[in-house]
Amino acid sequence: MKYNLELIKNKRKIIGFSIVLILLSLLGILYSTFNTSYKKPINLGMDFVGGNELRIERICNEECSNFSPDSVLENLRENSKNKNLLNNIKLQSQNNNKLISIRTPYLSIQESNNLISNLDNIVGPLNYESKDSRLIGPKLGKRLLTNCVTSLLVSLFAISLYITIRFDKKYALFALLALFHDLLIVFGIFSWLGIILSVEVNSLFAVSLLTIAGYSVNDTVVIFDRIRENLKSNKADYNETIQLSVNESFRRTAFTSITTLIPLLSIIFFGSYSLFWFSIALSLGIIVGSYSSILLAPSFLLKD
Amino acid sequence: MKRRQGWLFFIIFLLTLSVYLLINYPLQLGLDLQGGSQLTLQIIKEEGKVTRDELEAVNSVIDKRVNNLGVSESNLQTLGGDQLILELPGEQNPLVASRVLGKTALLEFRTQKEGTSTDLKTLQLQRLTIKELIEQYSFAEKSQNDNNLKVIQEDLNDIEQELNYSSTSKDLYGKLIEIKKYVDNEITNLFIKTDLSGKDLINAGRRQEQTNSNWEVLLTFSNSGGEKFAEITKSIAGTNQLLAIILDGESISEASVGNQFASTGITGGSATISGNFSAENARELEVQLKGGSLPLPIEIVETNTIGALLGSKNILKSLYAAISGLIFVGIFMIFNYRILGFVSVLSLVIYGFFNLAIYSLIPVTLTLPGISGLILSIGMAVDANILIFERIREELYDGNTLTRSIDSGFQRANSSIVDGHITTLLSCFVLFLLGTNFVKGFAATLGIGVLISFFTSLNCSKNILRFFTTYQSLRQKNLYLPRNNFSN
Repeated sequence: MKYNLELIKNKRKIIGFSIVLILLSLLGILYSTFNTSYKKPINLGMDFVGGNELRIERICNEECSNFSPDSVLENLRENSKNKNLLNNIKLQSQNNNKLISIRTPYLSIQESNNLISNLDNIVGPLNYESKDSRLIGPKLGKRLLTNCVTSLLVSLFAISLYITIRFDKKYALFALLALFHDLLIVFGIFSWLGIILSVEVNSLFAVSLLTIAGYSVNDTVVIFDRIRENLKSNKADYNETIQLSVNESFRRTAFTSITTLIPLLSIIFFGSYSLFWFSIALSLGIIVGSYSSILLAPSFLLKD
Repeated sequence: MKRRQGWLFFIIFLLTLSVYLLINYPLQLGLDLQGGSQLTLQIIKEEGKVTRDELEAVNSVIDKRVNNLGVSESNLQTLGGDQLILELPGEQNPLVASRVLGKTALLEFRTQKEGTSTDLKTLQLQRLTIKELIEQYSFAEKSQNDNNLKVIQEDLNDIEQELNYSSTSKDLYGKLIEIKKYVDNEITNLFIKTDLSGKDLINAGRRQEQTNSNWEVLLTFSNSGGEKFAEITKSIAGTNQLLAIILDGESISEASVGNQFASTGITGGSATISGNFSAENARELEVQLKGGSLPLPIEIVETNTIGALLGSKNILKSLYAAISGLIFVGIFMIFNYRILGFVSVLSLVIYGFFNLAIYSLIPVTLTLPGISGLILSIGMAVDANILIFERIREELYDGNTLTRSIDSGFQRANSSIVDGHITTLLSCFVLFLLGTNFVKGFAATLGIGVLISFFTSLNCSKNILRFFTTYQSLRQKNLYLPRNNFSN
């Protein structure tokens, strides 16, 4: 099977499309910074701001009885010492009222246990075997955030260094451009997800960005390798050679993306909820990454 | 040919070894898979960095306390220079652990300043009132009795006036706690430090008081500590100066020393603290004193608790995800690459076993992010195969013989594979160095996966493929090309 992507003809369209995506991402980031309640480029989750997250299941005979989150909250407030803290509480029910998830600002273990026993009185009995509780102090949150940002910057630097040593400057520059394009778009999508669906990012999001970086560079390197190889042996037109190289490597890039997406989709459908958004971020990164390696990065190399 | 067969036997040997390892050294599961609690303890130091010695000292105190608490199979490790992570598997309540571990437990013995008897009596009374108010408060709060709350507020105001101190906290509860701290501090200030402290203890115990149901804590001093204690008690025996035992700045006992000790002091090298302890409180104090005081204060900055049921659910879900991922990738590969695809499935299975064997060998504790690292590394391992197979296919289209195509396919894909693996390894390395505990699990499994994939995708695939091609019936070119050759 031969592929025939018309790279030369569509150069402008490709670059234009990427610019539109980047502008949309920037718009999301700016909107999120200035027009949302959290005033950050992206909706930072508990890992980074501290707080208390609790998920617990109720024990129900057949169907779990209906309850309104507001009245439960009202009840919780009445039974609690710490009124101020409960002003910022969020409560949701899922799985036909079976699963209850609660978010509050930071609580001590004692306060959290009180909250759970109060909850047990109101909507119980609760299944303590199904409990998932995380308490993160605000100090640790800040530390995790700096930690994640440093890891990101350090490894981006390391990857850039490797690429610059491995390729000549022009290739290195374009590979890195494609990389930052991918990261910015995934970041932008999550800014939008934060605005629209209040999706929060945690430390696993930073991990996914790092993994995407490795992946995207890898994809671009493979195609650039092919271009270099063909430019050495091929006497044909420069632009034509680039287009040929892209078409030759298209199958590989597409297949690799598919075989990586398959396990990720399995995690999305079958895996634990704590890995859901992580896998979504990785999948998006892989899709955007393949697009930029196949179409965008080689387009930079084309001569007018 | 013989040497090649040798490689194949080597691979089979490694595979058997992996299975043997897995059977005899089962995988360690993280708390998110087996249920349990995890506490992150942060060492607090106002100025400068926590040194290695300080970290060690804190670690050993915490370790002693954990052991004395009697939690089973707990695991304590240091993280990143100034944090400790304590894991309590199963359904053990992290609350007790957090109460016992979080306190500095700095024990001091102080003697009262001369001429402060009246001041002390007033303060002791105020302390009693405050304690009662705090108790009343929790009742009033529960019953939503606004009248009672008002009375508490008025009583509090009276005390504040007596103390000539006004609290700054916003809510009533905060105010009560603040005033209690202030009074505790005032009391402590009426006493002068001595050179006897928690360091002079060799043991601590507890027993029930004979007259009532309260508990008391027994202290046993070292030889020099016993001498110091005798010296101190001698100096105040028969006077109206009291001896205070102070824990973390709060006086937990003030007692007089009788005239009969004026000549020798209290000898025997032991003392008791009887301050209305409940059985639980006495035990916690005992554990803290046995472990010694922390050289630096710590704060519990993170607590994760996962129920056992949820843990086993997480295992099942991860298993489904991993197996379905493998199966679908296998189907995709066989459909597109036929025999080559089958080879890659075989080497993937080998890859899986090697990974798990390495986890049990190092050992790597398997967590949810760790499993996702493993699942993701499947994709990376297949990528190497795809690069090679695409090259082989091209060579075949160009009319080369099968053996030649296979050889040059592996050769020409080499540099791309190395590049890809190295960039991923770089990311993993940084993640492992800088990441949190949670992230480290992901970086470890992905990194190990990438390293193993170097071996399996280059070596295993190659040797299995060569073995296949020794059979005449498996050497037809069309078995190596996709079925849908319509565009050719």
